[in-house]
Amino acid sequence: MFLARIDGTITSTRKHASLDGARLLIGQRLEADGSDSGEPLVILDTFGAAHGTTVLVTTDGDTLRATRGNNVAARMSVLGLVHSVQRGER
Amino acid sequence: MRIGVVQGRVVLGAATPELAGTVLLIVEPVTSENLREGTKKGGGKALVVADQLGANLGQLVAFVEGREAANPYWPQDVPVDAYCSLIVNNVEYHPPQ
Repeated sequence: MFLARIDGTITSTRKHASLDGARLLIGQRLEADGSDSGEPLVILDTFGAAHGTTVLVTTDGDTLRATRGNNVAARMSVLGLVHSVQRGER
Repeated sequence: MRIGVVQGRVVLGAATPELAGTVLLIVEPVTSENLREGTKKGGGKALVVADQLGANLGQLVAFVEGREAANPYWPQDVPVDAYCSLIVNNVEYHPPQ
């Protein structure tokens, strides 16, 4: 699991049927100090995460298999909306 | 999923039988800088992605990676670790400056 900041959304008409109706967010994985890590990610969301907020993301596909079926063509989903993060001194 | 630009196609000669008929794309992942500029440039390390959607050269796609990339073939087992999940229509992307 990791934290990601929501930077946008993506729309697609031509997609795998398992993603029909899915809310697709663009998230930025965050390092321990809150800086950006790696490339932008497309993440499925059922919590209504708002732009600029931080979410907890899992890469385990079980969550999506349970809700969208064994054929689901995705693995990253929002597990929760982050209220606050306490960071240690560096 | 990451976002990528379709940069090419791969045709196999001799190959493992599970891949018969699988369309293979060369996809270059898009960095946050290139996604912000919207120039359809990638910038990441290219990889090969299985595709059943008919993505064309130059199109922006999103692809799932890892074991879950074989989910669409379930219950068949295929040795695919990257799969084109969608072709992008529109991106709303506004990271902090």
